[in-house]
Order: sequence, then structure tokens, then C-alpha cells
Amino acid sequence: MRALRHIAAPMLALGAYLAVAAATPLWTAALGAAFPGETRILYPDAAPLELVAQHLELVLISSAISIAVGLALGVFVTRPAGAGFYDVVNDLTNLGQTFPPVAVFTLAVPFLGFGLRPTVVALALYGILPVLRNTVAGLKGVPAEVLESATGMGMRSAERLLRVELPLAAPVIVAGIRVSVVVNVATATIGAIAGAGGFGAPIINGLVNLAPAVTLEGALLAAGLALVLDALLGGVEHTLASGRPSAV
Amino acid sequence: MISIRNVSKSYENAESAAVRDLSFDVPTGEVVVLIGPSGCGKSTTMRMVNRLVEPDAGTITIDGQDVREYRPEQLRRRIGYAIQGVGLFPHWTVAQNVAVVPGLLGWERDRIAERTTELLDLVGLEPDAYGGKYPHELSGGEAQRVGVARALAADPPVLLMDEPFGAVDPLTRDRLHVEFLAIQDRLKKTVLFVTHDMDEAVALGDRIVVMRDGMLVQQDTPERVLAYPADEFVASFVGTERALKRLSLAPVTEALAPVGLAEGCQCSVSATASLREALARILELGVPAIGVHDERHRLIGAVSVESIVERFKRPLT
Repeated sequence: MRALRHIAAPMLALGAYLAVAAATPLWTAALGAAFPGETRILYPDAAPLELVAQHLELVLISSAISIAVGLALGVFVTRPAGAGFYDVVNDLTNLGQTFPPVAVFTLAVPFLGFGLRPTVVALALYGILPVLRNTVAGLKGVPAEVLESATGMGMRSAERLLRVELPLAAPVIVAGIRVSVVVNVATATIGAIAGAGGFGAPIINGLVNLAPAVTLEGALLAAGLALVLDALLGGVEHTLASGRPSAV
Repeated sequence: MISIRNVSKSYENAESAAVRDLSFDVPTGEVVVLIGPSGCGKSTTMRMVNRLVEPDAGTITIDGQDVREYRPEQLRRRIGYAIQGVGLFPHWTVAQNVAVVPGLLGWERDRIAERTTELLDLVGLEPDAYGGKYPHELSGGEAQRVGVARALAADPPVLLMDEPFGAVDPLTRDRLHVEFLAIQDRLKKTVLFVTHDMDEAVALGDRIVVMRDGMLVQQDTPERVLAYPADEFVASFVGTERALKRLSLAPVTEALAPVGLAEGCQCSVSATASLREALARILELGVPAIGVHDERHRLIGAVSVESIVERFKRPLT
């Protein structure tokens, strides 16, 4: 039950967010009142809830890849066999984050076409670094005497990793996942350039058609989703950190 | 018996060898303390027994079986391991920590629970009160008790202990020593114990192996190491108070003089007291001699400063 304490409120917030997104008339009324005299109030091609679904698809797929790759690389470079690759991997992921995602789209489109796929590739690359960095920091933060006693008592390296190292590093790793996912929600708006839909679609539509209400619709939906996911992952992080003290 | 024969180990990038042609035994049921200054190779030596470090040359056997014949994990699950800093798993309770090796060995749940309770009792921690605590809720002394319980969990015949009582205050340390000796008296494990503290070595060891620069300098009983240090190095390492340390090893009965000596003094010490305690009482009371009584409080003799000096003139066998 302790686990639920920190997650219950963010789950309610997520429910509220989805309920508000589903209430299209509410958006028409609110944005209409905020921009009196505007004829273009809402994004015409998709309802707010559809935009949420498109955006979540982008974010969930790309973040899942970022997390899987970041975790795997983080574990690899902290093993004896992979220690030599630590600098190379670190440099590459740093580069991945400094490289603008827009440029990655543009370069990926000839190979992957328009739409979801180039967007996911760019977002996934962009999201690896925080996960990797925190995985490495979390694993390196496990006290040496804990590792020594795990090995000395006869744990195999896989047992040690799964039962001791990853659980102890978990709060730090989840903090990295949280940063990665939240940044991803904002970054994924540029997926609209490659025709991937999501909240970028109303933002760009409003920009092109000089319709600020439409841009605000996309921006509000994006900000709301970022806040909700941040709170949810913050709750997970908090649960792990409070239930399992990370140091003796 | 742990048998270490002609073992050598060099680390890369190190100027000299960590361990050079080292040989000694840890007889079954005895505590052998490996002692020396930091960097003398004592921890490396211990870690070669459970193959955390692989020797470059030489052989280590346990009960005649070469340790290289086992898979490292299998070997380590049969050897209790307690280290400085304890290294309890902070995300597990005390009970879960103690249960690690039985769990790795695939014991049944009931048997593990029973064993955990038994061990916490053995190290003087109330199982109901402590089993569910997390390591960060323990004091230093309690954590080290849990460390010992964890090392004993699967009832291994052999224990390796690397300064397991290192990080506590001297009082707690003395109490842990007494408890450790009581446990060892019952369980008769074969123990290789590493320390840099001569008092600890004298208190716990059946035998002491002194190391320096990766080599064995002297191996003998605590009593003889104190009485006959092999060279200047051992002499300086045992310290200027080695005579007093010897006193603490010898019971008063070894320097017993006739009862008449303590006439007029209403004081006496128990026959189980050490000469160190007797001398302390003599100095405290300002008397030439003090009586010695048996468990029924009958005077069986006396100890004087002269009788103590005489005792130390006799050569040790």
C-alpha cells in the first residue's frame, strides 16, 4: 500500500487530464472566450483527445526505445567487459543530444519516409542520454562493500546485477527516465513537421494560419501531459527512494 | 583445514609482488589471525581462498580439495564471508540479508526462516525486533552482528573475516570479541581472520601469522609472538606494551604463590582472572600481593609482583 501513496494523486491527475481533453465543447467555449472575434478556435483535423492519442503514441514508443537502449548501454559500460566503451558511449550520446532533432528528421526522411518512423528515431536518440547517464551514476553509486559482499557470498554477476545493483540504482535511474520522458513530450511536438501528428500539428497550424487559439490548444495539451507524466514518474521515483534506502 | 602452499600474487602496475611464496595452515576448528601493516598482502591472501583473487602460483586447498576444482560461486557459498564495512544490502531487511546464502543454495522457505531466527538469537539480536529492520536502522555494532550472522547462515565449515569488527567503538568491539569467542567455542569453525590490530589478534587468535611486504615473518601462538617476536619489525608491530598484552593472556594460576603471601590483605581475585587484572588490583590497592580464590571462594594461593616477574622469566614451550 505504501507504493500507492505517492502514485494515487498523479493517477487522478492523469484521469482528469484525459477527461478534460475528451471534452471538446469545453475547449471550444474556453478558447472562444479567450480569443473573442477569432474564427479559428480549434485544430480542424483532429479533436483534442485524438491529438493526445497521437502524441502519446510518439512519446511512448520513442521513450520505450530510449529507456531500453539507455539502460542496456548503462549496464554494459559498467560491466568489466564494457568498461572500455564508457567514454565512446558517453561521447556518442552527448552528440546525440546536441544534434538538433529537426536535423535528424530531415536526414532520416529519405530512408524512413514521412510520419511516425523518422520522428520516433529522432526522439529516441534524443532521449537516451538522461537514461544512460543516470543508469551509470546509479550503478556506480552502489557501495563497494555491498558489491564485495554480494560476490563474496557467491552471487553470480547476473544475480548481483538484478537483485542488488539495479534495485539500489533504481531511484536514480527512474529520475533519469523522468527527465527523458518529460523532455520528450515537448520535443515530440516537432514531429508534426514530418507529418507524425500530435500536439505539434495545432501549434504549427496556428502559426501558419495566424490562429493563436489553435496554437494555444496544442501548447496547453502538451504542457498538461508533461506535468502529469512528470508527477507520475516523480511518484514512482519517490516510492523507490522512500521504501528502499539507497545507502547504509 | 585451509592449507596455503607457496602462493604468490602480483598485481599489474605494482612495483613489488603483493604476496610472495606464502605458506601456512588454518587447522580445522581454529582461528588463525593474519596480521600486518596495510598493504602487506593479508587481505589479498584471504581473498585468494574464496577466489575473489586468483593466485599467480601456488595451491590453496580446503580439507584437501584444491579451491580451483570448484566453480567460484559454488566455492563461495560454502565459505562464510564477513568484511569491514559489513556490506549489508541496504534495500533488504535484516532477515533477508541473513537469508542470502541459504536462498542462493535453494533452501526451502521454512528452513530459511527457522535458520534466520536461530542466527539472530545466536548473535544476540532479538529476532522479532530486528528481523524486519532495514540496515540503516541499525547501530554499527548491530550491523556487524548481522554481518556475522549472515556469514554463518548456511553453516559453512570455513569462515573468512576481514576486519569484521573494524568500524565500531572500542567498548562495542570488546563485547563483540567476547561474543565471537563464545560462538566460536560452540561452533568450532575454521576461521581465517584478517586485522591490523595486535590487541584483536591476541584476543581472538589460536595462532597468529605476521606478514610484511607479502611475506610471512612469523607464525606462532599469540603468547609466543608476544614473548619472542621474530625480529625488530614484529617487535615494533606488537608494540611497547607487549609485556602487558602477555599478562592479559596468562591466567593468575600460572603465577600462583603460597597463600601466606597475601596475609593481611582482605582482597582476592578469581582463579579465572588474567595476570593483567591481578596486577591492576595490586597497583590499585597498593599491596605487595593479592589472594586468589576458586569458584567456591576458597583461597587457593596468592599472586605478587615477584611471582608475576618469576612467571615471565620462565621460557615458553
